[in-house]
Amino acid sequence: MAGQLRQNEQSQTTLEIERRCFIQAGLASAGTVLATSALHSQVASPVLPPQMTSNGADQIPRRPLGRTGDQVSIIGLGGYHLGTVQSRELAVRLVQEAVDAGVTFFDNAWEYNDHRSEEWMGLGLQGRRDKVFLMSKVCTHGRNKSVAMQQLEESLKRLDTDNLDLWQIHEVIYENDPDLHFAKGGVVEALDEAKKQGKVRFVGFTGHKSPTIHLKMLAHDYPFDTVQMPLNCFDATYRSFEQQVLPELQRRSIAALGMKSLGGDGQPIQYGVVRAEEALRYAMSLPVTTTICGIDSLDVLRQNVGIARGFKPMSPQEMQALRERCRPSSGDGHLELFKTTKKYDGGVGREQHGYPPPEQLPL
Amino acid sequence: MIESVLFPDFLVEAISAMGGIGGATMNTTRRDFLKGGAGAVAATSGVSANSKEIASSKASGERRAPPAAEVGDMIYRKFGSTDAHISAIGVGGHHLGDVPTLDEAVRLVHEAIDAGVTFFDNAWEYYNGKTETILGRALRDGRRDKVFLMTKVCTHGRSGKLAKQMLEDSLRRYQTDHLDLWQIHGIVYDNDPELAYATGGVLEAFDRAKQEGKVRFVGFTGHKDPAFHLRMLELGYSFDSVQMPLNPFDANFHSFEKHVLPEVNRRGMAALGMKSMGGTAWGIKAGVVQAEEMLRYAMSLPVATTICGMDSLDVLRQNLRVVRSFQPMAQSEMEALRARCALAAADGRFEPYKVSLRYDNPMTRMPHGFPFDHTQREVTEMLDKTDGPWLVPETTPETSRR
Repeated sequence: MAGQLRQNEQSQTTLEIERRCFIQAGLASAGTVLATSALHSQVASPVLPPQMTSNGADQIPRRPLGRTGDQVSIIGLGGYHLGTVQSRELAVRLVQEAVDAGVTFFDNAWEYNDHRSEEWMGLGLQGRRDKVFLMSKVCTHGRNKSVAMQQLEESLKRLDTDNLDLWQIHEVIYENDPDLHFAKGGVVEALDEAKKQGKVRFVGFTGHKSPTIHLKMLAHDYPFDTVQMPLNCFDATYRSFEQQVLPELQRRSIAALGMKSLGGDGQPIQYGVVRAEEALRYAMSLPVTTTICGIDSLDVLRQNVGIARGFKPMSPQEMQALRERCRPSSGDGHLELFKTTKKYDGGVGREQHGYPPPEQLPL
Repeated sequence: MIESVLFPDFLVEAISAMGGIGGATMNTTRRDFLKGGAGAVAATSGVSANSKEIASSKASGERRAPPAAEVGDMIYRKFGSTDAHISAIGVGGHHLGDVPTLDEAVRLVHEAIDAGVTFFDNAWEYYNGKTETILGRALRDGRRDKVFLMTKVCTHGRSGKLAKQMLEDSLRRYQTDHLDLWQIHGIVYDNDPELAYATGGVLEAFDRAKQEGKVRFVGFTGHKDPAFHLRMLELGYSFDSVQMPLNPFDANFHSFEKHVLPEVNRRGMAALGMKSMGGTAWGIKAGVVQAEEMLRYAMSLPVATTICGMDSLDVLRQNLRVVRSFQPMAQSEMEALRARCALAAADGRFEPYKVSLRYDNPMTRMPHGFPFDHTQREVTEMLDKTDGPWLVPETTPETSRR
């Protein structure tokens, strides 16, 4: 109660000081920044998304996965959130209902939620494994190939399968990660080895931090099949994967996998900057194969499935208008905290790099 | 009024003895020589017993400290392509607000000036005007003309009219009729460059203030992202200076040194370094680097000055000691330091201003409509309206109390 009062007091003081600054400056109407839309650089969507195929209005459309010949559903089920639901039973039910609704793309990572995410997904996929395109991520964070191969065995066991459709290097987010991954005896050699052994069909990498780091990975010219990255209407104008990485993937026919369509934590929706549906539709209208969604309840699953089933890509004009609308609030990165803070950087990765955990940093 | 500032008397004497710096008194050969590099040093050392050659580099030596003149214990460097020279370290304005008493803060400024420091940084919004008031108090009684006085305008996207009003506030607090340098504070958000260049924006106030003789030079500052600095430059205004974080961690992470510094030098603008310790000195506390090598590294870059936060006489004296014994680092030494910092720099935690929103001054967030974090120190600072013992009555900013 006292805390609540204190907070109210503070916000009142904020308003007051705000007013004072403006009055002091002799400008009663200085509350808004200048309008400069004419100066805004035009941000055009690189290209249209890959052609969708659909078996009817009650089905989730699919798109081709880069040059692989496979097709996957235009939304994917994120593995992280699956491991955060309150019970194993609910997790199993989410997986089963998603498969039955036509979701075929399933995301996961070796390190999520102390391995619960993979275990629960494995349970949910019993009897349904062949209906899905199953992905997990390897979490060496700079360690060597044998650590990677060990993790692969563990992922296969937890997911209760003998092969993955896609295996990606997880969380390429530190400036020196590309060097570490491509070092002799590093994780990239494990990707080759796993393919040779028939344990994985396709390979890729993921990361939420910086387009520059993604481009450094791509500069090695390794034949990645997929690249996963944050794509949303705020990213479009701020340290933008859409602007910098997506065109490069297009050029090389690498499948783009979108994530964090709602800014990672849905804050933009809570702030009232966008509605969930338009944010998701924006992400899906980009030239991506699928958009991976964090789903932690049947309600969210059904909502997303509904959007996917009736999905019509936004027009370029509609996308441009949304980017323009979002730009003023994108400018400090508070709607994409995974880029601008340490909040989303995983503990396993930090530990491997010798960095203290995020909660120990006064950031 | 404007020509009289800048140099300590002994430096003015040294310069006039060698025929002046720039301008009509200088012959072509000498001017070329100066532009080319070591000229100022050679010429100055010819007339001052205390002088020694500090740094020589090729004109194109992008990563070397610029030519410098040393007079007494202080090193002076050219302020971009202007005729002005400034001391190679500057006193940061924000930390003046952290000095416990007004007397001590005033003493710090006086001691810095006596040691030959001419560059003084500040901003309209620091501690709601307290630090400008402190500096103004310290500079009255005849010291104003010994310094190169800067402050920053804090429109953060708002109008040129507001900027003009802020300038009047700053001049009043400084008790002076002009600034040597007026910079746009905190280009830290994606749309800040466009807002600064907008019709009716802060750049129009720059033009007017220069015409009216109220400011000599103009520039901008920011700690967040090299891309925003480059955008400011790309849009084409002829700034005299650009302020940015420069340290061996920066060299490895979203680097101003790599991306912005060469461009600033190419355009003949003065590069002003800040955050030589990484803003918080966490890299020093973690034992990765030492304070002295951090300052030496920053000063060895091609910058006009390195602005240091100093909240006590001890820190001032420590910095002065580094300057007195300063020899620019060799390329190999700089490379080794960058390499040593690379691993620790890769997640950016030793440069928190780049990887945390908590280091964005709330005064910059407010006009953009970005939310605040009420646990943040600077939010508390912004909201703190109690008058401290540091405030002198005649310049106390208006407070609104109920």
